[in-house]
Amino acid sequence: MFVVTLFQSNSRMAKIGPLIQRFAQQELRNSNAIFSLGLYLVGITYLIYLLGGQNASDSTWNTLLWIVVFFGAINQASRSFEFESGDYFYYYQTIAGPKTTIIAKLIYNSLYMLLLSAAAWALFSLFYGNSVYNPAVFALGLALGCVGFSAILTLANGISERSGGNATLSSILAIPLTLPVLKIVSAINIQAMVGAPLEEVYELVGSLFALDIAIGLLAYLLFPYLWQD
Amino acid sequence: MTGRIYKALGVALVLYSLIYGLLTSVPDLPIIEQSIRNLFYHVSMWFAMVGMMAGSFGNAVGFLRGENLSKDRRSESLAETGMLFAFLGLFTGMMWAKFTWGAWWTNDPKLNGSAITILIYLAYFVLRNGIEEPRKKARISAVYNIFAFVMMIVFIGILPRMTDSLHPGNGGNPGFNSYDLDNRLRMIFYPAVIGWILVGTWIASLRYRIKNLSQS
Repeated sequence: MFVVTLFQSNSRMAKIGPLIQRFAQQELRNSNAIFSLGLYLVGITYLIYLLGGQNASDSTWNTLLWIVVFFGAINQASRSFEFESGDYFYYYQTIAGPKTTIIAKLIYNSLYMLLLSAAAWALFSLFYGNSVYNPAVFALGLALGCVGFSAILTLANGISERSGGNATLSSILAIPLTLPVLKIVSAINIQAMVGAPLEEVYELVGSLFALDIAIGLLAYLLFPYLWQD
Repeated sequence: MTGRIYKALGVALVLYSLIYGLLTSVPDLPIIEQSIRNLFYHVSMWFAMVGMMAGSFGNAVGFLRGENLSKDRRSESLAETGMLFAFLGLFTGMMWAKFTWGAWWTNDPKLNGSAITILIYLAYFVLRNGIEEPRKKARISAVYNIFAFVMMIVFIGILPRMTDSLHPGNGGNPGFNSYDLDNRLRMIFYPAVIGWILVGTWIASLRYRIKNLSQS
């Protein structure tokens, strides 16, 4: 069914929807992976709680949240291309081509990261109380951060997957690259926690948005070179 | 012949900035005082590093366009030379910070930027060492190089301007442009930057030739 839909649709845009659906199906079939990610989130949040996280100040709360999201994202993204290695690589190249695949992958991974960070935020609120004063700005920062984050992690994982490297290599590549995004996001989040209105973080949100677009564009342009064999 | 001219010019400019930088009179400012001369030795390292990394980036783009392996060797040589300048810039900066700020390392956006840059390019060399096949190595590391260069420019060029820095010229500290005698400083600083970039190009070209020989 999936293959038929892909072959019937000629335009690139029409192929993205079915591809994302396909990625989601693969993820759902492998329910053990989702279960272990959820267990990681609950476990690490409770561990921080036991170590005194409920007394954390605003900036510590924010830092802890991002560390939890960061390692969850690395864990998720490290499996990002396991279906695309080996025979699946040729399969996707035949039915969709690299440019369509990377767009679908970027959208899918961004959505996945949004769910992950929303779950982390909910867990943090449950255990330590929600110390965010302006949730709308906080959510906006989190969402934009997730998009940039997942784009960097997707490309880094593509690189480490193609170079036949291990999971450590993708972390080594991704960690320094994610820092510009992390730095701006945490600045927005701190502002949201002390209750700054949107107008005051307008510049930060704008620059994060521009950075996201630049990262996404680079990933889109560079991915086809990665996919040559 | 042109090769000799740029090398001679590079050496002359570097020698000029090294010697004249110590002899010239500098504006007498509080706290910085005579350590302002580090402008010639420290800041020029970062300019030279960004120049080398830009060259490395350009050659990475060139490789992806034409799949010419010599471009990849150029790109790697320039990145290695850039790392040399990064460590020299870090070292001269730490010496200066100890005497001016009283600490070897502070949580300053520019310091974070340079530390991250070094991490990014060390990861680049780790990536290169992990791949055996030369064409694949060149292609994958070119992809990472292009991505890394853009993120480095964001980190060292844009982020420090959004927050205050302890560096001269930032956050109300007296800077390069506010000096009465800034033209005297400029007359040494700009030649130093150009000289170090030329010397860096020379170092990179030597490394490139060594790589060519070890290939054949």
